[in-house]
Amino acid sequence: MTTAIVLLIVVLGSVVFNYLSPWWFTEIASNWGNIDFAVFVTFWICGIAFILVGLFMVWAIWKYRRREGQQAAYEPENKRLEWILTIVTTIGVVGMLAPGLIVWEEYVHVPENAREVEITGQQWSWSYRLPGEDGRLGTVDARLITVDNPFGMDPDDPYGQDDVLVERGALHLLKDQPVKVLLRSKDVLHDFYVPEFRAKMDAVPGMVTYMWFTPTKTGTYEVLCAELCGIGHHTMRGTVVVDEADEYGAWVASRPTWSDYAARPVGDAVAGQAGYVVCAACHGQQGEGLFALNAPKLTGQSAWYMRAQIDAYKRGLRGTHPEDEYGQQMAPMAATLFDAAAVENVIAYIQSLPDEPAPATIAGDVERGADLYRGCAVCHRADGSGSSGTFAPRLAGMSDWYLARQIVLFQQHIRGHDRTDTLARQMTFMSKQLHGQDAINDVVAYINELGRHGRFASNSRVAPDGLAAVTHADAPGAE
Amino acid sequence: MAVEAQIPYQEAMELHDPHSWITKYWFSQDHKVIAIQYGITAIGVGLVALVLSAMMRLQLGFPDQFDFIDPEAYYQFITMHGMIMVIYLLTALLLGGFGNLLVPLMCGARDMVFPYVNMISYHVYFLSVIILLASYFVPGGPTGAGWTLYPPQAILTGTPGVDWGILLMLGSLAVFIVAFTMGGLNYVTTILQARTRGMTLMRMPLSVWGIFMATVLGLLAFPALFVSAIMMILDKTIGTSFFMPAVVSIGDSLDYSGGSPLLFQHLFWFFGHPEVYIVALPAFGIVSDLISTHARKNIFGYRMMVWAIVAIGVLSFIVWAHHMYVSGMHPWFGFFFATTTLIIAVPTAIKVYNWTLTLWRANIHLTVPMLFAIAFVITFVMGGITGLFLGNVIVDVPLSDTYFVVAHFHMVMGVSPILVIFGAIYHWYPKMTGKMLNDTLGHIHFWVTFLGTYIIYYPMHYLGFVGVPRRYFANGEMAIIDESVIMLNQTITIAALIVGVFQIVFIWNLIYSYFKGRDAGPNPWKATSLEWQTPETPPRHGNWAEKLPTVHRWAYDYSVPGMKDDFIPQTEPRTAEETAAGRTE
Amino acid sequence: MAEATGLRNLQLVNDWADDVAVFRGVPWGKAMMWIFLLSDTFIFTCFLTSYMTVRMTTAEPWPNPSEVFALEAFGVPVPLLLIAIMTFILITSSGTMAMAVNMGYRRKRVPAALLMLVTAVFGAMFVGMQMFEWTKLIVDEGVRPWGNPMGAAQFGSAFFMITGFHGLHVSAGVVYLIIVAVRVWRGRYEEKGYDIIEITGLYWHFVDLVWVFIFAFFYLW
Repeated sequence: MTTAIVLLIVVLGSVVFNYLSPWWFTEIASNWGNIDFAVFVTFWICGIAFILVGLFMVWAIWKYRRREGQQAAYEPENKRLEWILTIVTTIGVVGMLAPGLIVWEEYVHVPENAREVEITGQQWSWSYRLPGEDGRLGTVDARLITVDNPFGMDPDDPYGQDDVLVERGALHLLKDQPVKVLLRSKDVLHDFYVPEFRAKMDAVPGMVTYMWFTPTKTGTYEVLCAELCGIGHHTMRGTVVVDEADEYGAWVASRPTWSDYAARPVGDAVAGQAGYVVCAACHGQQGEGLFALNAPKLTGQSAWYMRAQIDAYKRGLRGTHPEDEYGQQMAPMAATLFDAAAVENVIAYIQSLPDEPAPATIAGDVERGADLYRGCAVCHRADGSGSSGTFAPRLAGMSDWYLARQIVLFQQHIRGHDRTDTLARQMTFMSKQLHGQDAINDVVAYINELGRHGRFASNSRVAPDGLAAVTHADAPGAE
Repeated sequence: MAVEAQIPYQEAMELHDPHSWITKYWFSQDHKVIAIQYGITAIGVGLVALVLSAMMRLQLGFPDQFDFIDPEAYYQFITMHGMIMVIYLLTALLLGGFGNLLVPLMCGARDMVFPYVNMISYHVYFLSVIILLASYFVPGGPTGAGWTLYPPQAILTGTPGVDWGILLMLGSLAVFIVAFTMGGLNYVTTILQARTRGMTLMRMPLSVWGIFMATVLGLLAFPALFVSAIMMILDKTIGTSFFMPAVVSIGDSLDYSGGSPLLFQHLFWFFGHPEVYIVALPAFGIVSDLISTHARKNIFGYRMMVWAIVAIGVLSFIVWAHHMYVSGMHPWFGFFFATTTLIIAVPTAIKVYNWTLTLWRANIHLTVPMLFAIAFVITFVMGGITGLFLGNVIVDVPLSDTYFVVAHFHMVMGVSPILVIFGAIYHWYPKMTGKMLNDTLGHIHFWVTFLGTYIIYYPMHYLGFVGVPRRYFANGEMAIIDESVIMLNQTITIAALIVGVFQIVFIWNLIYSYFKGRDAGPNPWKATSLEWQTPETPPRHGNWAEKLPTVHRWAYDYSVPGMKDDFIPQTEPRTAEETAAGRTE
Repeated sequence: MAEATGLRNLQLVNDWADDVAVFRGVPWGKAMMWIFLLSDTFIFTCFLTSYMTVRMTTAEPWPNPSEVFALEAFGVPVPLLLIAIMTFILITSSGTMAMAVNMGYRRKRVPAALLMLVTAVFGAMFVGMQMFEWTKLIVDEGVRPWGNPMGAAQFGSAFFMITGFHGLHVSAGVVYLIIVAVRVWRGRYEEKGYDIIEITGLYWHFVDLVWVFIFAFFYLW
């Protein structure tokens, strides 16, 4: 009796839960209403089957519970009943399958007027490539990837010259324009997943996969990775912005093309010296950094990282949060470097300065720090040299007080507050691994050790780009 | 050897009786002892996996609260939890444990056909468990690639245990497959060639049918895993490129080129899907016997049940790519695999109807094994219908890799078979030990486990509808989730911890009842099948007396009209009335 | 229940569904060997399917087998010479194995044992020639599992893996043959009967058959 009642509660409770639950699909923002329809059909056919089977069982358990003198019926089989049930089930299955297959047919056939966009996954970020005026993407090859050619573009392919490259940041799409998404991966499996679009597909290294959809609602959407891709899987976020035509056009025009990349001015250290005067006020004559003025050490930092940060300040990704007082000081300074040439010159000058390890100001439990650093080492490398491959700056031998402060800023989302700032957002996730100021101090103390004893101990200037110059394995700090 | 000659041969089978403690309990050739060895090892390693799942749930419910759970540890937990549960617990317990225990007893055989190979099988399995657990003690710890071990990620930087863990995992799997093959050949050969007089195929209890078909699946599916394990080991150690295309890993260009990550997925799921049925079919069979016995009614539509098992087994080899709808394989495969997958729903649904129709017009004894069997049906229906969502290719697109998948497979191949295993242990424990398990403890264990797991997994489907992706160490700030999702995650975690802790009740019951339990007698459930008709309880080595039993009827003669008792053992000759009434079975 | 079905007149169904044994008169060991070989077939199928897949996915050119496997005879490179000899030897060994089984049926234990030993010798010759071939590939032509000068790396990977796995099967078969042959010689199976020779033979023919497929897929494609 009790059993029957409890089972009844389970069955009815499931139904009630379904109606009371606040959890359901997000509002759709693409053309795939048909997918929702197929889910709806499946949901109801299955749901009714569950309720009927459940209620029948409850009834049977109640009606035929053990009683004195009761004898069960002896009926080995009932062909008629079995056939009826088989046929009814088959009808139900066909009822789900048929609409499912029809929608799948749509899903795999890309409409003629779809525009291509290529999305590349890597551990743990997304980058995007759009064909230029010619409407055709240039060829790429994983073996051509370097720090200056992060997409592995074939420099000789004429179709590639006008390709629009979005290395970090948001992907913009035009509302009501079907897009054919071509998916690639540089390293492992990833899966481009925007819940509001419903569509989803794996990015597989060594091949190009595809899917298509039409964004139908303007707005900003979060990109998730839906295929386990290592310890940073949950941090692999991105942003898609669906625009009306005007905004979309403006965005495309603002993004660099491959020929812009190739034509990037080569930094002139001599010219950069003049530009650096502004920086020297805080960061020091030798770029050694100054704690009193909250200016971190610059020398020895990789060019791509400084470029990215100046860009972030200029675009308001950094230095705009009301609680980020030091960042707010930096923002107008970054603005003085008004064009690409100025930026490149200053960077070139900074790179020509001698690289002395910054003095250690933070002490902590180095052994515990070493253990905590294992999580950092994947991107920032075991020797703390950083890697452009993972967009991770150098840590070892840099201003330790600055590292400690940034970790806190990341944890509080003061740095990384903007959803389109995917790099900083990644650090907001990873920084939460360090619970409490002690943990931060420990890990920074360990990074100090790396600076003192690792490959940055000498005065020699080492290009801190694992990619081009030194491989991971022969760095002295690496195991 | 003619059949007439074979029965005396079986009866006189050489048994190698134990001469010392070691040969009795450790290097025993008695299938029942081997079954218990498999059972204890599997449950032991299963408890490890249970603890791992509790740690995962802690992180998911209360992120950033625990110092000892970082992403590395978390992905190691999920990987080891998944692999242990699927292979080292469920496969080993259902086939190594129940397969060993039930096949000879239910078929009326003295033992497995090759007891020595059977004994080695267990010890090789034990070795595979040791290798697996050893990965916790090597530099870098166990692999964190997820139980699917997809390359390139499984062997590249950014995944925990990329040096030693993955090799030990693959090595352990290869050793496990050797163990399984030795056991499996025995089960299949015993069922095919060594049944007793009168035990026709269509008189076998459904447990034996389920175990038989599952073993056949295993023998044909594990090779794919074996081959992919070898190839991945070669990719990892000597740098071949079977699964590895040219990649740039954390900024470094590696020397691989030209391999196919999808090849691994195809091989893995060619094993992986039948694996689902390797776990499910024995559970289907066992639960049929539990329901029939405790409902005091023959299983409804026995023949249909047998054909459904066979059909599911055969079909399970042509549905594997439904795990790969969004993997980037050629989209046209979607049409084929969605169709085959939904076809398999028909025989599966028939099994469900027949279980419920067995309850109809029955005389239901709500014993603990019966409660577990009923709970299985409810859980399995829930897990089965959500499988239709994921099998129906386009519906899978928004749901794949979300918590809907997690909820689905835990319902259908986690909780369902576990409920059957519990039911089966409550059911056969008296035969194995001569003691009944404690009823009160059994009820407490049942209600907490059944309701608890339902509370864990039923709402979890809705996380999937929201779109929450699985295998996330922490959701953090995510556009699609709000406070209510966080609350739901906490609720699920608390329920999971409670269910986990209450398994102590079960373990305690096993130990307590062994010493203090009520005497069971030879046939406490008044069951018909052969294992309850052994001359001694627990059955001795060799199971039967001088002569093997003779079977006269099927295993489901419950509540036959006009009979004194509500059950007739299989060994009972047909009466004159029965023959007169024209009942052939 | 089989009687009740419409299939009752099918002798096969009746036999299979009858009591005690599905395969009447088939000893346990033989049934088990058949099932094992079925399982092993799946292993080789997976290996060969994987080989074909990577051969198609790799972008680099596949080395030309008739050049790679050519052998100089009297100063003229003859394509596939060695392989032809190896294949011939293995097929011959299947012949001697069949004769051994025949002798077993007639309970002539000494000739049976001798023929099994001859089979084992052929098997050992095959393995020896395979080692020679491997040495030639590795030393003279620079083929490695992870790469080779002629083209796609997968050529070496798949070749060494699959022929290696098959070679292990042959080697295990040789050991198995020798053990059984010695036991037959000593008269251990006088009472039990000589089914064991047939079971060994099943395994040996299987290994031989697999080689035909490997031969076709590697050397002729």
